[in-house]
Amino acid sequence: MATFPVLSTMANGLSVFRTWMDAVGDNLANLNTVRRTDEAAFQARFVVAEAVDYGNAATPGIGSGSRVAGVAFGSAEGRLVHDPEHPLADEDGMVRLPDIDMATQMTQLIQAQRGYQANLAVVDRARDAYLAALQIGK
Amino acid sequence: MPIGPVAGVSSAAFTPLATLAETASTRGAASTQPSGFGDAVIGALDDLSAAHNTADALATRAATGQLADVHDYTIAATEASLATELTVAVRNKAVEAFTSIMNMPL
Repeated sequence: MATFPVLSTMANGLSVFRTWMDAVGDNLANLNTVRRTDEAAFQARFVVAEAVDYGNAATPGIGSGSRVAGVAFGSAEGRLVHDPEHPLADEDGMVRLPDIDMATQMTQLIQAQRGYQANLAVVDRARDAYLAALQIGK
Repeated sequence: MPIGPVAGVSSAAFTPLATLAETASTRGAASTQPSGFGDAVIGALDDLSAAHNTADALATRAATGQLADVHDYTIAATEASLATELTVAVRNKAVEAFTSIMNMPL
């Protein structure tokens, strides 16, 4: 709605960070997804964000936040691990694990969480500001 | 500082409700006509109604487990609440102005 443009802007931003958290969650959940060596490993998910700059009606030139442009995939090669006991192991005793680093994923999770919180903070401040504006002249 | 006449207060400001309803139905086509206070109120009410409809639809989706983003609902509810506050503020100002005029000693 055009009356409170910052709120829809922040809704877009929140969706991007929520998607990022989803992607990190997917990556972490598949940290131990084992594949055969003749298959592609689980590929890490990367969220690609892009600016929505068609502008908002109130202030042309200022965009309307960001949106998810798509999802990029990490290495399909993964890493080969020697695990002869595994039912999916090949004749050399190797299996393919995804090339995902847990520490990197946790760092990204915190970044996504903080980004989400920052967007929420803007919503809160904007709401307070709008309510204060309605008090003018009272 | 000279205080000029209030531009919004004209005959259009006191359009009867029946006319307002007609204005509402033809509002999209009649954008060339001068917009009075009535049009502004009708527009605000339309926005308010749309905001509440959005929030209600999202609440239903939340209740039925189809809501992808929690913040979609809370932001829609915030927008609806702010729009309500805004409309109430405008109405209060209008009633205040009307009361002031009615209390004018003649």
